[in-house]
Amino acid sequence: MSIQLDGLNKRFADFAAVDDVSLEILDGELFVLLGPSGSGKSTVLRIIAGLIQPDAGRVRLHGRDVTRLPPQARNVGMVFQNYSLFRHMTVGENIEFGLEVRRVARPARRARRDELLELIDMAGLGDRYPAQLSGGQMQRVAVARALAFDPSVLLLDEPFGALDVRIRSQLRRSLKRIQRHMAVTTVLVTHDQDEAFELADRIGVIDHGRLLEVGSPEQLYRRPRTEFVARFLGNAVLLNGRLDAGVVRLGALELGRAGGLDEEGDSDSGVAVMLRPEDLAVASRREALDAPTMGPALVRAVEFRGALARLEVDLEPPPGVRSLDADFGAAAIPIEVVMLPSELERDPVRAGARAWLGVRAYHVLPRTVRQVQLCVHEAFQQRALAGVLRRMGEMENLALRVLGLGDTAERASEQLERARAAAPPGRRWDFEARVGADWLDESLRDLPRGNVDLVVTQAEAPDVADRLARLAPIPVLILKGARASMERALLCTAAGEPGKLDVVVGARLVRRLRARATLLHVVRASGEPAAASDLVLRHLEMGANTLRGQGIDCDTKVRHGDVVSEILAEATAGEYDLIVVGGHLAGGRRGEAERDLAALVAAAADRSVLVVRGPLP
Amino acid sequence: MPEPAPRARLKLRRPPPPREWPWAKWLIVGTVLSYLGVLVLWPLLAVLRGAFAEGLGPFAMVFTDPVVLRAFGLTVGIALIAVTVNGVFGLIIAWVLVRDSFPGRALLNGVIDLPFVVSPVIVGYMVLLLFGRDGWLTPLANALGTRVAFALPGMVLATVFVTLPFVTRELMPVLREIGTEGEDAAGTLGAGGWTVFRRITLPGVRWGLAYGLVLTLARALGEFGAVLVAGGAVTGRTETATLFIYRSLDERHYTEAYAAAVTLGAVSFAILFGMELVRRRRDASR
Repeated sequence: MSIQLDGLNKRFADFAAVDDVSLEILDGELFVLLGPSGSGKSTVLRIIAGLIQPDAGRVRLHGRDVTRLPPQARNVGMVFQNYSLFRHMTVGENIEFGLEVRRVARPARRARRDELLELIDMAGLGDRYPAQLSGGQMQRVAVARALAFDPSVLLLDEPFGALDVRIRSQLRRSLKRIQRHMAVTTVLVTHDQDEAFELADRIGVIDHGRLLEVGSPEQLYRRPRTEFVARFLGNAVLLNGRLDAGVVRLGALELGRAGGLDEEGDSDSGVAVMLRPEDLAVASRREALDAPTMGPALVRAVEFRGALARLEVDLEPPPGVRSLDADFGAAAIPIEVVMLPSELERDPVRAGARAWLGVRAYHVLPRTVRQVQLCVHEAFQQRALAGVLRRMGEMENLALRVLGLGDTAERASEQLERARAAAPPGRRWDFEARVGADWLDESLRDLPRGNVDLVVTQAEAPDVADRLARLAPIPVLILKGARASMERALLCTAAGEPGKLDVVVGARLVRRLRARATLLHVVRASGEPAAASDLVLRHLEMGANTLRGQGIDCDTKVRHGDVVSEILAEATAGEYDLIVVGGHLAGGRRGEAERDLAALVAAAADRSVLVVRGPLP
Repeated sequence: MPEPAPRARLKLRRPPPPREWPWAKWLIVGTVLSYLGVLVLWPLLAVLRGAFAEGLGPFAMVFTDPVVLRAFGLTVGIALIAVTVNGVFGLIIAWVLVRDSFPGRALLNGVIDLPFVVSPVIVGYMVLLLFGRDGWLTPLANALGTRVAFALPGMVLATVFVTLPFVTRELMPVLREIGTEGEDAAGTLGAGGWTVFRRITLPGVRWGLAYGLVLTLARALGEFGAVLVAGGAVTGRTETATLFIYRSLDERHYTEAYAAAVTLGAVSFAILFGMELVRRRRDASR
């Protein structure tokens, strides 16, 4: 085993950059750490190199524990994102640097240098300075420099990131050749899935500091185990399926027995059905499909791409089927299909035509579990607490963390016990007591990154609701009032476009509550030109379509006047149980101080408010 | 799919043609040239004329006079000490300010600029307050058997203080720009701390450092107020080149004053020239 990472953790000021990463990399393997920017992949690499100290966990290189050793003592070759060539040294001096500090005699250094220059196809260019090289040459010199002293492992941090797209694939092949030639265990970090596919023996996908899956490129592409990996590697549409006694269903369509999914015993549970473009087929007539029929679809575009033909179709969601990625503005599900041109020749399908969509292959994976944090404090009424716990007990794919909050350990655990007693049996939820002077600060601590999707708590007092609405970095559901039902939701948009985030996140909660929705837009009484109302209506309709695509019964409303008071008036008039407002809903006319409308609504409302803030999860 | 909104046609007008003022350029160039002429060239010519009014004779006289030689030697000596001390400490201060974070960093960052805003005369006075008769640190100096006020150490101290910011302020942006990646790279290649500094960091900042040192040198050579107050301008003992020029003028020995001024001016001019060369190298190495 060349590299062994064991329970690595690293926190920077307010977020976990690396969250419990364990990994074993085999001798001579080219391992690619793949993830979006900011996912913590470079931090993992730097921890292996010794440039960053982990807060917890071990790093072993060839069985030797190097966790506490400085980079100098690790014998690791690293290629940095910008190569970091020493600009005042020639190419040759750069390559020899690692040998020089190891006090290798000059003739041996020279020989090694020439050998490496040969290997990177730069023989004779040893006397140039880095400034005289092209980007691709600099990258190869950086690789040669990192390999000169026979490192135990080679680490590459986005080595193609700074290069022209045209020369990348050539350099990838060159890197792979060098890596095979030297037989050095290599870890490469990238956000580019093509790069990962082309180079990797195995890929590890990392997101929010967590290593989600490890496997061969084919394994991860064909049989991902998480929704994130399914989306991140290649194109895929994810639909809500059901697993019923081992049979996978998409609405009324029976796909077959589930293969590969860990049987978790649930006789009837929600699953995600992944359809890759090449898993699908389009035909002009239903009978012409050689695969189970999904439903009618509108063909939006047909592109001929040589070996393949690519189609974009809009699928009318069959009853009970919806996309797991709510696409703002449309009820139809946009799907990409890849077919052989010969198939299309036999049965031509044109853009703009109606056609039938068939499913040739599919993959089933568990649904992403949403993390909800319920904050229980002294002022949380017992009836509301019991109600919310019962409701969450009915929801699928939901992990609940209950925080018992109090200013002493005793009071905190008192709150926790109260919640535990009211929790429905049979759900494995986390219970944690947290002690702090201010329960609100404690509730919002440790929230910023990826671990929690929604915070739920009760706050009757206007000032407390106002603070929650202003400070929560992620969506927060503020329970208020005595209503037990959650049947009608008012989604508010105002002062500009309806926020995509509010609608998507609001839809997620409203759907789980099985509530009906009204999308409201408030036009400011003065100032807004009349021409804007067309735009407003169109946006409202798009928002409503989004909700309908998610299977939510939805209508729209427009009111004129002051944003906050109109929202509150509509809430009272329509007997809504829940108000959804976007956190970006800031307003105020020119010259006035900007008002946080979401906080004003949260403070003044006499019913529950969901304030939506933060990045789209 | 909602219909796209009908787009209102904008009424477009041709932008007005650019106005031509051919004479404006020459007006600006002329203004700049005459401004610099009055401010720089004219006085320079006057000094040169004064110095060479009696041929090269005064130069020979001036540079055989032990008092003058002593004054120039003192100036050069103090300047070299200031350059050395501020080269070392300026580098360390810049390093600490850029690479480390600690409480009071912002305050320290502000304090560095203090010598820029405090009058040199006051700097000299501070030296006297610390080391003069009844000064706070006079007992310490006495114990060490040295005199600081009205002596070389005081003048060095004042000059070092006055020239403190140059190296630090030059190096900070350079250090920030080269970043730590080169050092990290050298570290993974196996180089220890001292090797990294000597082989990577120092070469990376060398032209910035050189520029800072040249600025320090120029400032130290021309210092007047601080060395006057701290040293007391005792002829033949604590009189530097600038102080000699001032005394000669005061005593109406114009020829000697001009000759010394021209010599000091020539050194400054050489430094200016060198500075320009270094600056170009520095900018090119970025």
